This record gives sequence, C-alpha cells and structure tokens, in this order.
Amino acid sequence: MIKLLELRDLSFGYDKGGPSVFEHLSLEVRSGELLVIKGASGSGKSTLLRLICRLNTPRSGSILFKGENTSGMKPSSLRSMVTYVPQIPQMIDGSIRDNLLLPFTFVQGQRKTAPDDQTLERMLEAFYLNGVTLAQSANKLSVGQKQRLSIMRAIVTEPDALLLDEPTSALDAESAAMVFSIIERLNTEEGKTVLIVTHSDYQPDVPQARSCTFRNGNLECA
Amino acid sequence: MNPIIEISIPQLLLALLFILVAQATSFIHKLGLNKDITIGTIRTVSQLFVMGYALTFIFGANNPWLTVGIFVVMVFSAVFIVRGRVKEKQIAYEVPTFLTMVSSYFLTALFVSWLVIGVHPWWDPRYFIPTAGMVIGNSMSALAISIERLFSQMRQQRELVEMKLCLGANYKEASRDIFKGAVKAGMIPSINAMMGVGLVFIPGMMSGQILAGADPLIAIRYQIVVMFMLVGSTAMSTIIVTLIIRRRCFGKSEELVLSAE
Repeated sequence: MIKLLELRDLSFGYDKGGPSVFEHLSLEVRSGELLVIKGASGSGKSTLLRLICRLNTPRSGSILFKGENTSGMKPSSLRSMVTYVPQIPQMIDGSIRDNLLLPFTFVQGQRKTAPDDQTLERMLEAFYLNGVTLAQSANKLSVGQKQRLSIMRAIVTEPDALLLDEPTSALDAESAAMVFSIIERLNTEEGKTVLIVTHSDYQPDVPQARSCTFRNGNLECA
Repeated sequence: MNPIIEISIPQLLLALLFILVAQATSFIHKLGLNKDITIGTIRTVSQLFVMGYALTFIFGANNPWLTVGIFVVMVFSAVFIVRGRVKEKQIAYEVPTFLTMVSSYFLTALFVSWLVIGVHPWWDPRYFIPTAGMVIGNSMSALAISIERLFSQMRQQRELVEMKLCLGANYKEASRDIFKGAVKAGMIPSINAMMGVGLVFIPGMMSGQILAGADPLIAIRYQIVVMFMLVGSTAMSTIIVTLIIRRRCFGKSEELVLSAE
C-alpha cells in the first residue's frame, strides 16, 4: 500500500505563544487504511483532522498528500480529495437531491460528472435511508439520517480519503451501528481510506484497520 | 424666483417648541429619552452652526486643497460612525473601508459636479461639498448595514460555511449567499427611496432648493441626479468593501478565521 498521507513533526496551538495542543507529531496513513483515532475530549483528535484539510494551520511541521506538501496545494482541490465530515451534520435549505449534488455546484466539483437520480437512490438504500426520497427536505431528517447523508454527500465526488469527526457522537446505538457499518463497507468494498476520530470503544472488524490514541499530546499507534 | 425668507433667531427659538413636545412626551410616558433629546438638540444646533461658519469660510477661500481636505475629514468621520455601529473586534476593516469610501465617493462627486452638473472648476466647494456630503451620508448607513450583516451572518452560519469548504468550495463559493445578502441589505434602502420619491416623500435636497426659491422643474432634475448618484455610489462602495472584508474573514488556506464570538 502506498503512503497517502504523511504528517511530519506537526505542532499546533490555538493562540500565538499560548499552550500547544500537541508538538512534534508524526503519522503515516496508507492508501486503503481505516485508521481510528481515539483520545479524551480536547486531546487534539478533531484538530488533527482539521489540520489535514487545512481548516487550521499548524505552528510548524508539514503534511504530505501523495508525497506533495499540502501547503502548496490549492485548498479547494485538496479538500475535494481529502474530505472532512464535521461532527455536527450541516444541510443547506433544500431537498436531499440539492444537498447531495451541492459539491458539483462548486468549481472543483464541476470537473466531475454528477450522479443521476437512479444512482443516488441506490446510494440512499446502501446508506440505510430507504424510506426517504430525493425530493424531500433535508433539514427535516433526524440527526442520524443527516449524519449518514453527510457521509454520502462527502463520497459522491469520490475523494481519496474521508476524515470523519465523531460521526456517532449524537446517535443512538442503532444509528451508530449503521454508520460504522457504512464506514467499514466504504473501506473494504470501495477501498476508501478513512480516518475516523471517536471517543467510543469502536473496534473496526476489518483487516486493514489500525488504531491510534492521543495521550498527553502524543499519538500512540498500535 | 422669490428671494429666500431669512429665519431670525427668535423664529429659530420658536422651533424649539417641537423639542419641548418631544421632551414632554418622554417625561409623561417615562421613556427615559429626555437626556438624549437634550444632547441631540445641543449637538444639532452647535454642529450645524459650526458647519455653517465652516462652509462660509470654505466658500470664501475657494481653495481646491481645502475642499478635498474637508471631504477627507467628512469620510474619516463617517468611518468612525460606521465603526460605532458595527462593533467588530477581530477583523480589521476600518482602513479598507476608509480607502474605498475616499476613492469611490471622490469619483462619484467628481463625476456629478464636473460632468453631470458641469461645474467649473470641478472642485467648486458650493457644489462639490454638498454633493459629497449626500453621497457620504447615504452610503455610510448602507455600509454599516452591509458590514454588520456580513459579520453576523458569517458567525451565525460558521458551520455551514465550513461544510461547503470541506466539500471543495473555495471561500467565495462557501460565502456566496452571505455576501449577496449583505450587499442587498445595504442597497435596499436606496432602491426603496427611488420607489417612494415624489410619491411618499419630497427629498431634503429638493425641498431645500424649492424653499430657497428654485424652480421645481430645475429642482427635480437635481434630485434625479442625486437619486441615481446615491444608488450608484452605494452599490460601488458596499460591493468593494464587502468583498475586501469577506476575504479578511478567511485565512491563507481559505479557512474561516472569524471566531464564533
């Protein structure tokens, strides 16, 4: 497996001169891997994902995507290849179709072919959204349904890696199991590289899974 | 044309009766506005008297540098008023706002006084200063509305903007709706004014000219120029300022740097 992401000697803190969240952190993620990052609240798990897609800027160190330093890449181009799904699902006002096709309205997405309704309907079923239709309002879905829809929206443009920030934190056990099942399927069947941040006891049942834990600003990987 | 009727000091004092009515209303209904009405009255009288003497001096001096200098001071004061209304601490917007106001309002006032009205020299303070004053006064309110709306919506819709960024939007695409909403909010009052002028209200400039004895048909021509000028200058300044400030809400990596509060 080739190296997809490489984090080199990364340090981060929110305020200039203030305390660091972590220092000199290094990590390699291989293509097709399912990496689970665990740790206590405030340990820097989510920050790590945000740094990878440049929603935050590190104090020092570098991040490489397919061997290229991400600081030299166009942010929108990087984010369409390494897509971050925030903890709280956000929907635009409009239908489920409008939300799923949203990435294709941006310059980056216009280079790709948008899926037709039949493909989207098949995807809705695969994401355990059988009862919903493409025309119905996205903001009327439950939190669990929105969470699945936001993961689905993140993969319609076929990014190389998915960064999932606490995707099950607001869900009941049944909805959480659905989300984890989707993640494992995306990883095993479609070969998607997935980085998932969680404080749950999630142990993926896939051979290419790996787990890392934040402890005192250090990332310890199994 | 009838000569203008001069208002004597006793007649001016008679107008204070209106203030007394406002004071009495506030006192009877315990509105707590008596202090503000008093300060407002004193400021209105003193500021306008100072302005009257200043304009008399400027018109007499007939110096282009003095005219431009007064114009810059007026814009500077307008930025302070905008700053008082917007109350944004994180993103510095005052300098680009000032520079945009100075350049766009100068061009507008120059265009109107020189080309449309045909004043020679173009800086004749009797035309340039009132024209610039109308542009500044009107657009200042529009700018305050647009800037305030941009910051508040960007904060309110933080998560939505970030979600779009995460899906590959550039910063312009991620904040397109907020930008449009902010510019529209600033421009709507001037567009509404075009709808109501002559039907619902007679604008101050036109009323002033008519009271000063001008032919109403001449006064309306001036007013039409003013209405068009105000819409144009408001559009120009709100769009430029909102574009600049929107960029400042995002960092080098097109990440949203505007904090939640």
